[in-house]
Amino acid sequence: MDFDFSEDQDMLRESVRRWVEKSYEFERRRKIVAAGGFSSEAWKGLADLGLLGLQVPEAEGGMGFGAVDAMVVMEELGRGLVLEPFAAVGLVATRLLRAGAAGQPLLGRVASGEAIVVLAHEERASRYRLGHVSTRATGPSGGAAACKLTGTKIVVPAGDAADTFIVSAREEGKNSGKGSGKGADADPNGVALYLVDKGATGVSLRTYPTQDGAAAADLVLDDAPATRLVPAGEAMAVLEEAVDIGIAALCAEAVGAMDALVALTVEYMNTRKQFGVPIATFQALRHRMADVKMQLELARSMSYYASLKLGEPAAARRRAISQAKVQLGQSMRFVGQQCVQLHGGIGVTDEYAVGHYFKRLTVLEMTFGDTLFHLGEVSDRMQNSAGVFA
Amino acid sequence: MNLEFTPEELAFREKIRSWVAANLPKDISEKVRNSVRLSRDEMQRWAKILGKQGWLGWGWSKEFGGPGWNAIQKHLFEEETALAGAPRVIPFGPVMVAPVIMAFGSPEQQKRFLPGIASGEVWWSQGYSEPGAGSDLASLKTKAERVHTKDGDKYVVNGQKTWTTLGQYGDWIFCLVRTSSDGKPQTGISFLLIDMKSKGVSVRPIITMDGEHEVNEVWFDNVEVPADQLIGEENKGWTYAKHLLAHERTNIADVNRAKRELERLKRIAKAEGVYDELRFRDEIARLEVEIVALEMMVLRVLSAEKSGKQSLDVAGLLKIRGSEIQQRYAELMMLAAGPAAVPFDTEAMDAGWQGDAASGGFVAPLAPIYFNMRKTTIYGGSNEVQRNIVAQTVLGS
Repeated sequence: MDFDFSEDQDMLRESVRRWVEKSYEFERRRKIVAAGGFSSEAWKGLADLGLLGLQVPEAEGGMGFGAVDAMVVMEELGRGLVLEPFAAVGLVATRLLRAGAAGQPLLGRVASGEAIVVLAHEERASRYRLGHVSTRATGPSGGAAACKLTGTKIVVPAGDAADTFIVSAREEGKNSGKGSGKGADADPNGVALYLVDKGATGVSLRTYPTQDGAAAADLVLDDAPATRLVPAGEAMAVLEEAVDIGIAALCAEAVGAMDALVALTVEYMNTRKQFGVPIATFQALRHRMADVKMQLELARSMSYYASLKLGEPAAARRRAISQAKVQLGQSMRFVGQQCVQLHGGIGVTDEYAVGHYFKRLTVLEMTFGDTLFHLGEVSDRMQNSAGVFA
Repeated sequence: MNLEFTPEELAFREKIRSWVAANLPKDISEKVRNSVRLSRDEMQRWAKILGKQGWLGWGWSKEFGGPGWNAIQKHLFEEETALAGAPRVIPFGPVMVAPVIMAFGSPEQQKRFLPGIASGEVWWSQGYSEPGAGSDLASLKTKAERVHTKDGDKYVVNGQKTWTTLGQYGDWIFCLVRTSSDGKPQTGISFLLIDMKSKGVSVRPIITMDGEHEVNEVWFDNVEVPADQLIGEENKGWTYAKHLLAHERTNIADVNRAKRELERLKRIAKAEGVYDELRFRDEIARLEVEIVALEMMVLRVLSAEKSGKQSLDVAGLLKIRGSEIQQRYAELMMLAAGPAAVPFDTEAMDAGWQGDAASGGFVAPLAPIYFNMRKTTIYGGSNEVQRNIVAQTVLGS
């Protein structure tokens, strides 16, 4: 048991932090938000750092790094409120691409920054349930672009910048339910994963910024040609693992963002004067800051826990990840809300960074399952014994 | 970074586990698991078993006859004993006064006092709080005047201590006393060891709202204390007491006992039929997440102590969170029992009680424990004082 970072991890952190400080200062970020929330230049910067191949095997042109390395990177990107979907592409999509023969050729291109591949799994009616899918695949399963997908996916990362989508859809003939009723949409065993190119016929995107200024899109598929990546029966396990990797990454991102937000708030409390004294002298505010620190350290502890549990068997991993997301969700909401409050009026302005941290943390809470959703998961999976090693 | 114990640590855990299984009396662990009252003799019985093995002072270095365990081994020992249902070791001797005697006592004092603490023969109590000195402990007034007599120097002690946990059983008491009123309040305090059988010491019970006799007032009326029972230098007692707090870090979170009590909460909720009510079970799930997060925070502190690479100043956070969790599981256990927790059936908490289980049995102690646990956010530096300390660290001002 050891919670120290290695020298290599310290160096990795340092290089990402330097890049964020140099290339992603607040005014630069503001321009990226105004331009739609995705900067090709920033993406190239991430590729040049080697980050896009962080978890791509070395044989495929990546670095083959592990979960703790990803956590280190995410903390630093979170600190800088980096908008580009590094985790969605570099961590989640690369895991999915490794799961099927059709995905292998894309890995090298993702690692080099040539191709942007993202998961498109969420639907308007699915909420956070991965197995709840109404998008349907028709036609034969084998071969390139051999089948057709119809359906709509929402809040797909990267917006117009994405080149290829990994889409969850119901494989023809693999569903237990018949027709298009709710029961048929909810069967996780019928879900397969497909690759869809943005330029294909029947693919259209409705792009928009998210609340935190990042680029996203709704993906509308109308008989769009697709290649099967992972067949029904196997896909859910892969999808769950990839999403768990995404959750661990966003936990770390949130810790970085909260670290920076708390530092800003501490500085403000020590300089802002009211009634002739710094507001840091008021006990009501000091105790609030102590509560913020509590939530931050609990969050950091559970972020470590999430990343360190990614290698466990599926049942233990899923339980741990949900436990972490509950803690992180609570922490993100509390720290975000209270740091705005501790700033007073300036905290609610667009001009100042605090509101932007708050919005980012809010979106992270609602990504891959919010606090109540994961509380339900923890509740459903409880065993007699509990604890870090249970 | 990794979350695995080393093979040596796992072997150590196994050694402790099998020793506890073989040596913890079943009648005692059954009582602990069901919150049946323990007598002084039962608490002493377990202390002496540990003492015989050399583990009552499980945090002690080999120099003083302890096992010389590192932070992780100490944690594993605490975890294994807690999960097995061992009574909590009364900390005042082995955990609280012994480290002060080791660090600041004379070789004669070490020789005189440590063996009785290590064996569990001598029961120690703590004399810190006073009616007028709670969170503001440094304002304490119990006075010790040094006088010269033909039998040597003595301190004459007058005043009153309060909240003395299990002081009714105490053989000795370590006290913070005022030896000077010059300068800041902290600078006139001394650390004195007092034989509770001395003339002029009287112990009066305080009955808490759960109906139990756990704490006491201790009065000192011209009590004569030989000067060789002063620890270290006169007027340095505050520094010694603070040293003690700095060395009592992860154990204050009491996360191991929380894990045991969470299991018990689930058993009670199942027996009472509320485990399958989602609204209730989600509350247990919330507590489970809190306990795992607290355990991770404790493990981070242990890892930092072991490697020495990072400093983690989170003792205040551990105390706040640990105490809140203790209150929460007690609250949920009582709520799980529902109306069956309402009858006040104090005999049902005694060993061998053969009454009607419908109105008492295992549910009888649940409300009293809930009432009792309100103390945890008040004692040991109230959680509000802890927040002051945390804020000072975070804000740097």
